[in-house]
Amino acid sequence: MKIAVVQFPGTNCEHETLVAARSAGLSGEIFRWNRPAEELSDFDGYIIPGGFSYQDRLRAGAIASKEPVMESLREEAADGKPIIGICNGFQILVESGLLPGLGGVDVALAQNVMVSKGEIVRRGFYCAWTTLRHEAPPERCSGSFLLKKGDLVRMPLAHAEGNLVTVDEDLMERLNEENQVIFRYCDEGGWVEDEFPVNVNGSLESIAAICNPEGNVLGMMPHPERSSFAWQLPPTDPGKSAGDMGSPGPGRRIFESMKRYIEVRR
Amino acid sequence: MKIIGRKDQEVESSLRSAGLGLTVSEARSIAEVLGRDPTVPELFNYDTMWSEHCSYKSSRATLNEFLHTSGPNVVQGPEEDAGIVAIDDEWCVVIAHESHNHPSQILPNEGAATGIGGIVRDVNCMGAKVVATADPLRFGDPFGEDKNHVRWVAEGVVDGIWQYGNALGVPIIAGDVVFDESFDTNCLVNVVAIGVVKRGEIIKSRAPAGAGEKGYDVIVVGKPTDSSGFGGVTFASEELREEDEEANRGAIQIPDPFLKNVLFKANEALFKLTREEGITIGFKDLGGGGFTCASSEMGASAGYGMDLDLDHLHKASEDLPPEVVACAETQERFMLICPPELTPRALKIYNEDWDLPNVYEGARASVVGKVTTNGRYITRYKGEVTCDVSIEHLTRGIRYSREERPRKISLTEPDIVAPEDLTELLLKVLASPNVSSREHIYRYYDTEVQGNSVIRPGEADAGLIAPVRGEKFGIALSVDSNPFYGRISPYWAGATAVAEAMRNVAAIGAYPATLTDCLNFGNPEKPEAFWEFRECVRGLADAAKALWLKGYEDTPVPIVSGNVSFYNESPEGTVDPSPIIACVGLIDDVRNAVTMNLKKAGNAIYLVGPRFDELGGSEYYRTAYGVTGANAPKVRFDLERSMIYATIDSIAEKLVVSAHDISNGGLGATAAEMALVGKGDLGMELALDSASTEDLSADRLIFSESSGFLLECEGGAEVELEKLLKGYCLAIMKLGKVTGSPEIVMTHQGKKVVQMDLETAKKAWTGGLVEAMR
Repeated sequence: MKIAVVQFPGTNCEHETLVAARSAGLSGEIFRWNRPAEELSDFDGYIIPGGFSYQDRLRAGAIASKEPVMESLREEAADGKPIIGICNGFQILVESGLLPGLGGVDVALAQNVMVSKGEIVRRGFYCAWTTLRHEAPPERCSGSFLLKKGDLVRMPLAHAEGNLVTVDEDLMERLNEENQVIFRYCDEGGWVEDEFPVNVNGSLESIAAICNPEGNVLGMMPHPERSSFAWQLPPTDPGKSAGDMGSPGPGRRIFESMKRYIEVRR
Repeated sequence: MKIIGRKDQEVESSLRSAGLGLTVSEARSIAEVLGRDPTVPELFNYDTMWSEHCSYKSSRATLNEFLHTSGPNVVQGPEEDAGIVAIDDEWCVVIAHESHNHPSQILPNEGAATGIGGIVRDVNCMGAKVVATADPLRFGDPFGEDKNHVRWVAEGVVDGIWQYGNALGVPIIAGDVVFDESFDTNCLVNVVAIGVVKRGEIIKSRAPAGAGEKGYDVIVVGKPTDSSGFGGVTFASEELREEDEEANRGAIQIPDPFLKNVLFKANEALFKLTREEGITIGFKDLGGGGFTCASSEMGASAGYGMDLDLDHLHKASEDLPPEVVACAETQERFMLICPPELTPRALKIYNEDWDLPNVYEGARASVVGKVTTNGRYITRYKGEVTCDVSIEHLTRGIRYSREERPRKISLTEPDIVAPEDLTELLLKVLASPNVSSREHIYRYYDTEVQGNSVIRPGEADAGLIAPVRGEKFGIALSVDSNPFYGRISPYWAGATAVAEAMRNVAAIGAYPATLTDCLNFGNPEKPEAFWEFRECVRGLADAAKALWLKGYEDTPVPIVSGNVSFYNESPEGTVDPSPIIACVGLIDDVRNAVTMNLKKAGNAIYLVGPRFDELGGSEYYRTAYGVTGANAPKVRFDLERSMIYATIDSIAEKLVVSAHDISNGGLGATAAEMALVGKGDLGMELALDSASTEDLSADRLIFSESSGFLLECEGGAEVELEKLLKGYCLAIMKLGKVTGSPEIVMTHQGKKVVQMDLETAKKAWTGGLVEAMR
């Protein structure tokens, strides 16, 4: 099972993302944006990693979403292959319309706004560990294929624009009904609260990740590759010192899910 | 420019109107060596290379006199862009440390961003992968007369750092911030970068052997040269004056982390190719002094000359004067020297594979000249020879022996009577912008990118990364310097900065492997400022020497890199002496590192390092009484060494499960922080009676900033820990224990002197910096 980690100018998480994918048993390589796009069809799945593609010019993800490789990814997605966009990768998938995948650019990832007790307490870039609650049933989505509804997964986030917004009033209802909401930000006990710091960036309904209607394309703001080894965990987490340097962290479940999804699809 | 035969004042006025910083006698000596009047571009080249920034003309003698730059683990001392020490037989850590003070005061965002941009180039050009940065920052008084400007500078600097570092993809894992009115008109923005490289894959910043004889190509890669940063090193070598602000703004470079990100990846591809083919190249960043500095140093350090054609350099505009092309400090550029047979492949990597021309308008790699054997530094432009001078004379620079005179320091100890209940005072100290939680700042920093972070800002005294997958070793990084001690005693400021930076890495269980020093002072032409500089260097060198490298008796911890920043001075005054030290620590297995959050109720708390009556420069004196005091903390070298190595050993032997060093705010702040960084459910109960051999009042015991640690002992390991401490001849000071109730309680002579609930403390501690940077 071979995956491509797609690299744009300004991407900065490709190496650790490939390492994390390999730790879950996937093989793969980093795929530079100006390689012939048709070579992408040789791969079984795709990850668009985090970073600042094209310097976030215009809007985060806007320029990369117009690259030829994205046209190829659109075709591969239509074929049912899994695509996971992480952080800037999520932004690119939203800008390209692959997410939420309803035919247009239906949501945006806007600047973070941290609100507590009715007051804005902070704006912009924020880096911290967070807990995600899995909102969909098992096997709903490629990147959370192995997770049960209600499972909690810890991983860090680091972004300035992860605040999911929409002008379509019916969209949220549809995303919820179709189980396209994959993760929500919650506290360590699994409680979702629409207040900073639990809702860390002001996102609608505390949404951290969504998938397309078919479930093969997933976009998430937090970084599972930074939580794929136990030693990466924060010091207050009892799992941190467990096992050897290869021991898994919670984020590895995302890559293991992708692997399982590819296996099942075959 | 006509110099020979003209009067001093005529020469002076020609130099000034051309925008040159050279003195008349410097200009005359150049004309004398050339045997003719120099051209304007030649004078600018000399002006650049002989600036304080490039030549260390005032500081070199002092640095050579005091600093120990070699050692058993040193792979490369301070002679190139970055220093290198060995981690093991295979891997090395590369470190560089610089200041970007002047630009950050004028344009905080761009100044700080290009500070990060420059320091990561210094590390990358050694062939290393840049794995972390740290940012020691000094701002003015956020509540003083200049508060609005101070806050504008502080916010801009923090923005510049995160916007650059996050986009580049290098985690910021350490730093410190101090607010002090001496920085009202002169902020300090120091930057530290570290990288990893295999010992056999280090690339030198010089022309390779044979380059002159075989006519190696000189290639410039990166952004098209423009006029930005022209005069940067000269401006950094003068005092800041408000009326010059307009002109100085033009001397500040323009950052571009996006282009740097792509360049780093292209560099990596180039390094990989040269390693596979066994080709030796020279590689250097274009930083201070721009093209002139990089090209002349790369040639001169290998004993070669250079013949360069500025027409072939890619530029943003074709009508730039030759001295601007040569000396501008356009960012995001490197210089490569390679055998001609590699050139087409090198150009392909940058111009096609990584597509620089389409990634950034005008960016590319261009061949600009050849290495020669004639010892001349020659540049040509638009059909003329614009410079033809001895490369050795140009790069050797000049030395000044500056006069020193002790500054008269007339500070006294205050006469104070503290209240019996010290809870309110402790809360006040915790809320001070210099003690309070740094969270407001570090949440802007991507501390996780690259996925190597083991300990992040706010979790312990030092950051820790596991930078090589498949390896267990970790690199710890910390920075330190206390300007208030510097105000009282420059010598002890130097010594305490070294000791604290070392304690910081020891507190997580790493051993100090190397130090860097960035020395920030006023105008060295003033004897008092130069005295402060010398005293600081003497103090930090003494400490590095007396604290020893682990496993090597009587061997100093080597100082492998550093920077001197003079002229941090304006008509309003000079900065408090600030010898900022960074310490790299190493640990064999990152899983053995400890953090500072309390682990378990019932565990015993030990104090290492008795309290002394030395509260000069303390947060307590300043916050509670508004005074500096006169007794700055000293470093008791033998005691300090024992404390540091006992702490490292006790962590390695798993006797200690959390540790925190004692510094700003004293034992009181240290204890509170250990409780506050956890989940808030564990407190502490401490009896202070044994904390000193002197008869000190409770407030002095709590707030003295004498060096030391608080250690949380693993349950049942008390006997073994005490044995270990005794083995280092350290006094046993078991002060109390971790409790399951969310409060800090301290008693003295049977009386409760502090009872502080953690919720109140958290509010004070997390709010202080937010308030100061609002």
